[in-house]
Amino acid sequence: MESVSPVSNQLLQPTTSSSSDRSRRKRKKKSPPSVPSSPSPSASLQKWRSEKQQQIYSTKLVRALRELRISQPSSSSSSIPGGGRAVREVADRALAVAARGKTLWSRAILSKAVKLKFRKQKRQRISNPATSPAITGSIRSKKQRATVMRLKAKGLPAVQRKVKTLSRLVPGCRKQTLPVVLEETTDYIAAMEMQIRTMTAILSAVSSQPPPPPPPGHEGGQTHMLG
Amino acid sequence: MSSRKSRSRQTGASMFTEDQINDLVHQLHRLLPELGNTRRSGKVSASKVLQETCSYIRNLNKEVDDLSERLSQLLESTDSAQAALIRSLLMQ
Repeated sequence: MESVSPVSNQLLQPTTSSSSDRSRRKRKKKSPPSVPSSPSPSASLQKWRSEKQQQIYSTKLVRALRELRISQPSSSSSSIPGGGRAVREVADRALAVAARGKTLWSRAILSKAVKLKFRKQKRQRISNPATSPAITGSIRSKKQRATVMRLKAKGLPAVQRKVKTLSRLVPGCRKQTLPVVLEETTDYIAAMEMQIRTMTAILSAVSSQPPPPPPPGHEGGQTHMLG
Repeated sequence: MSSRKSRSRQTGASMFTEDQINDLVHQLHRLLPELGNTRRSGKVSASKVLQETCSYIRNLNKEVDDLSERLSQLLESTDSAQAALIRSLLMQ
């Protein structure tokens, strides 16, 4: 047991220095053209692919996981399915926080957690559930609600069905217009890819078993965190 | 892509033009892993793109679930060495 930690420290140290070097280099490159004012989708995709963002997310995730671990003291095997679900929710919440509230799906994920807290703690008060629809209500009023139907060329029922399925997959997009759903989908996919990369890296760093390789044809490229 | 044309004349249904929607669909398609596609950027049927997107999101979801399962199993084995590892990860 004692031999594991120095070895792992050695493993981690060169990687941390290299990754921090890379992030420093990336910061220098990014600082001159730092005008991310236009909310174009490509800029947000670049954000999810940068190493800096991955490091931010991994730190958040590890901290959240540590807190989760403390709340689960030496649990038996009966809570393994429950534990996996809890980790997924923690990871999703950390991802949503990393999105900085600019996207629909992140707000939906966070409001889900908030709603649960309200329902658990204050069941007797009737006025409290009114606050959570207020959050989503204000967001809805910003964008005029138009259904996904009735677009000229995309009025095919097959396309509409698929768009509806897609909107159900992405959190918070069930009653949104087609372009909104598409935008949220692109951001959601990029964010999930980063989430997968980060969790894979954490797994391979903490455990001795290497995780299975990601599926081929992955456009985003492998993470460089562990050299 | 910063300005959005508001209120197309056709109906009050969509505030965005068709071209922008097509652009978004194309971008989505570029994001997807090119599973055997020969980069046909000319003809991309929206239906196929959407279908591949749905299955890809489901795949990603499943992967995240698997990874979180393994992470939870790791966490449950209360090992002091692992706690030290996690803490050292934090000290980046």
